[in-house]
Amino acid sequence: MKSKSTYVVVALVLAVLYVGDEQRWFRQMRAEAQNAGPGPHEECEKLADRADPGAKACYTKLSQSRDPLARAEGLWGLGDGFNASLAFADAVKANPKDPARHVRWGYLWMSTDQFGDAKEDMEAALKLNPDYAPAMLGMARVLNEAFDGEATKWAEKAVKADPKMYQAYELMARMHLEDNNPEKATAAAKEALAISPTALQGLAILAAIDMMDGKPGTEWTDRILAANPKYGEAYETIGHFFVQNRRYDEGIALLRKALELKPELWSARAQLGVQLMRFGQEEEAQKQLATVFNDGPKPARLLVKNSLKLLDVVATFDTFKTPTTVLKFDKKESPLLKPYFQAEMDRAIATYEKKYKYKLDGPVQVEVYPNHPDFEVRTIGMPGLGALGVTFGKVVAMDSPNSRTPGEFHWAATLWHEMSHVYLLTMTKSRTPRWFTEGVAVFEETAISPEWGDRMTPREVKAIQEKKLLPIAELERGYIHPTYPDQVIVSYFQGGRVITYIVEKWGQQAILDMIKGFAELKTTPEVLKEVLKVTPEEFDAQFFPWLEAQTKRTVDGFAHWTEQMKLVNEAVKAKDWDKVIALGAEPRDVYPDFVEKGNVYDMLTRAYTEKGDKPNAIAALEAWASHGGRDPDTLKKLAELQTEAGHKKEAASALQKLNFIFLKDEKAHQQLGALEMELNNPQAAVREFGAALASGAIDIAGTHYNLAVALRATKQNELALEHVYQSLEAAPAYKPAQKLLLELSAQ
Amino acid sequence: MRRLLLLAAAAAVSAQATSFYLTVAGLGGEPEYEQRFSGWASDITKSLAGEAGAKVETLSGKEATKANILAKLSAIASQAKADDTLMVLFIGHGSYDDIDYKLNIPGQDISASELNDALSKIAARQAIVLTTAGSAGAIKSLQHDKRVIITATKAGGERNATIFARFWVEAFRDGSADTDKNQTLTALEAYKYAKTKTKDYFDTQKRLATEHSLLEDTGKGEGEGDPSTANGQGLVAGRFPLMHLGSATAIAATPAKQALLKRKDDLETSIDELKYRKASMDLPTYNKQLQGLILELAKVQASLDQ
Repeated sequence: MKSKSTYVVVALVLAVLYVGDEQRWFRQMRAEAQNAGPGPHEECEKLADRADPGAKACYTKLSQSRDPLARAEGLWGLGDGFNASLAFADAVKANPKDPARHVRWGYLWMSTDQFGDAKEDMEAALKLNPDYAPAMLGMARVLNEAFDGEATKWAEKAVKADPKMYQAYELMARMHLEDNNPEKATAAAKEALAISPTALQGLAILAAIDMMDGKPGTEWTDRILAANPKYGEAYETIGHFFVQNRRYDEGIALLRKALELKPELWSARAQLGVQLMRFGQEEEAQKQLATVFNDGPKPARLLVKNSLKLLDVVATFDTFKTPTTVLKFDKKESPLLKPYFQAEMDRAIATYEKKYKYKLDGPVQVEVYPNHPDFEVRTIGMPGLGALGVTFGKVVAMDSPNSRTPGEFHWAATLWHEMSHVYLLTMTKSRTPRWFTEGVAVFEETAISPEWGDRMTPREVKAIQEKKLLPIAELERGYIHPTYPDQVIVSYFQGGRVITYIVEKWGQQAILDMIKGFAELKTTPEVLKEVLKVTPEEFDAQFFPWLEAQTKRTVDGFAHWTEQMKLVNEAVKAKDWDKVIALGAEPRDVYPDFVEKGNVYDMLTRAYTEKGDKPNAIAALEAWASHGGRDPDTLKKLAELQTEAGHKKEAASALQKLNFIFLKDEKAHQQLGALEMELNNPQAAVREFGAALASGAIDIAGTHYNLAVALRATKQNELALEHVYQSLEAAPAYKPAQKLLLELSAQ
Repeated sequence: MRRLLLLAAAAAVSAQATSFYLTVAGLGGEPEYEQRFSGWASDITKSLAGEAGAKVETLSGKEATKANILAKLSAIASQAKADDTLMVLFIGHGSYDDIDYKLNIPGQDISASELNDALSKIAARQAIVLTTAGSAGAIKSLQHDKRVIITATKAGGERNATIFARFWVEAFRDGSADTDKNQTLTALEAYKYAKTKTKDYFDTQKRLATEHSLLEDTGKGEGEGDPSTANGQGLVAGRFPLMHLGSATAIAATPAKQALLKRKDDLETSIDELKYRKASMDLPTYNKQLQGLILELAKVQASLDQ
């Protein structure tokens, strides 16, 4: 998954794809909430746990009670969350000192994904009784839903407060396995089983660990089914971990198994629909999602509604097929995007095929969404994903270059990033840890062009200063359960640098060998030992000094850089351009990667421009671009200055860089088209003038004419004639087009 | 349309007609806006500097008072004739209180009604361009037969600062705004350019559009965002020359070429008529007829240019 770049500081819910999945959907929290203490629902819960048909009658009876708490539980058990919530409000009013009521109400909120409300109720319960273990566990669950690393601490507090609370151990087991730490997960699950031999989620975690390791897992699944023959939730949990580890085919099979046991397990059915949709099995996806929509409880209906709507949207997309690619674009965008995406896809496939010595066994499908919420729904079934692109096997879904403000992301880097995932996931059958596949993907962004990859931003500088980077053996955790807000993005940075270091020291072959090792289900320490001949600790002992040496000037000089930048800013405000030039060089050299808004290159350019020193103004902007500057207006400014200076090739290069960032810019395409013609690259000019037309050119006549001229230069006279006619349709008296028409007609 | 456009172009370059321009940049309120407004006013003044025989007046900052505006309009009234053209451009902040529109200027603001009184004394054809917030509120007060009114907003209630002026000004220095390539930028072309660019701006920035421009030139409508033959707006604006680009000159109408000129005019009219019938024709027939006419027109033009 390609996250939002350093240019957008937004809290990521990056791990959602791997962790959230089916359990974030109107999960059936009732079972998990049992530990909130005895209540009027207890008997009904026991019946429901045994899949006893009497459970419904039990809940119905409760729902008719005069006691608001019993009524709330009954309504909840019957799937009427809205009225259950109203009844919980009455129950809390009736006994405001009872923390258990808040905890139960909190779980109801969680069951409909309203985690903010859930957290408030858990906090209210803890306020009433700070030692109330069920509220601690509830808090752990709420935080885990937000992938907050604090969740573990609350689970640990819960077992400390109530050593018999096996559900807290189950939750810890789940979180450890999500962190790809099966040893700790096993230990926690066994703690749960020691307290309660029928801790079904604990058993499910153990089954998941065995099954992902290629074992049958029947030791655990037999015990689960003996306790509850219809406990589909176990297979839903196991499926969750397969999906998290991108073993989607197996994940889908497990979700089907969950539904065989419990057809009314709506969360599993909805998740199955989403997974099928991800793999382009749209017909069955539609069927599963429609079943949830038609027959499921209200929260489920609302959640699958997005996916069903998306299927309708995708059905209208333009599709372009080659033997190696299937590209899908919104009709409005396809004329503009198709030439650029096709070129990059062809280039990426040719590059990776050679680099990874691997040929994909079928075409890669790329879906490009102009509407970010559509992409979010495509990815996780609901809005809220802060990512730019996601890969499912050989299917890539990503934001359109036009879906965000210009400069916010580098679409070509995102495409290459995702294509790297396609290769690694296919080569390892999805048996690769995230740190490795993301690290390789980040590395590849810069490998194709040093200017493409994300830069080291102040947040990474801070993380290095505060020694927040993770040991290699724990890097996985940084992607899934971050313990500070920027940790996911920092982990991307670290992953990329780890791979850079490996390639530098051991060569590209080491990456291929590591891929092989992960495909054989070896762990990170095993792969490090086998391929690099080092332990994780030895790797860290080599890697961190290497990284420190690479970043030392910026990290050590960061405080001074901040001070210097203030002084340069003040000089700009005072229009003291000599001072700007005198002061600007040092911060530029200390932190050359800082190319975002407010960077020193911009200030230097302005100073040189004000002093009439165009060569140095150009040099400053060229340095900015070579360090990964992406602001479209600045790139256009650079091209303009270069054109004025007669540096046509360089100007064309600046505008070509812009094309990888933002495409819907008619003027830029017109300028690049003209430059390409002057540089005798008419084929490139054809693409640019075509893009100008697709960008909604105001000067239709002029653009068709330019395109006709370029087509003629590539000896495509028939097409040229078509465009010259279109030019003259818009402006019949347009003399240059008339002249060209006569020339073409004469040939 | 073509025939009308040609007549307009010819009229615009006739020796007798004078083009008057008055640009007013009102109060910015904040340094950023002050700079922006005066910058746009300065830019358009520079673009108009090359217009032959044009009389260009600009009031910006402290100079943009009600008295000065009315004095300038009064001076134009004393000089302008019916064949002349006048473009008045207002840049800045504006407001509409459900009764009248006001442009925010130093001292007492000037209202649309007051402007209308002053403009009514001017014989020249007029294009009044209000690029401020709430400018649609001025349409009723300014409406007049054959007067082109362009506003940045579609309602008096669109109160956010606008960006339309930036692109209106840009149209005067971007040759691509002259979409029919006749070397004359008309009010309709500049309007369409600024409207498209404004829309693109909001689309690109992923911001909710807070302004929607209008054009009114029938003297009785409420203005249209997309002037067309269907809604009857844009005919006057399409004939209203704002600026001449490049070396537009009247074609040397030597007696020997009169027949060719007549043929050229007829062909252009036929092309226009054909384009209007496009929707009711099958595409191959349309293309065949269009291409025939276009090719013949090109040949006639080549003969004229010899």
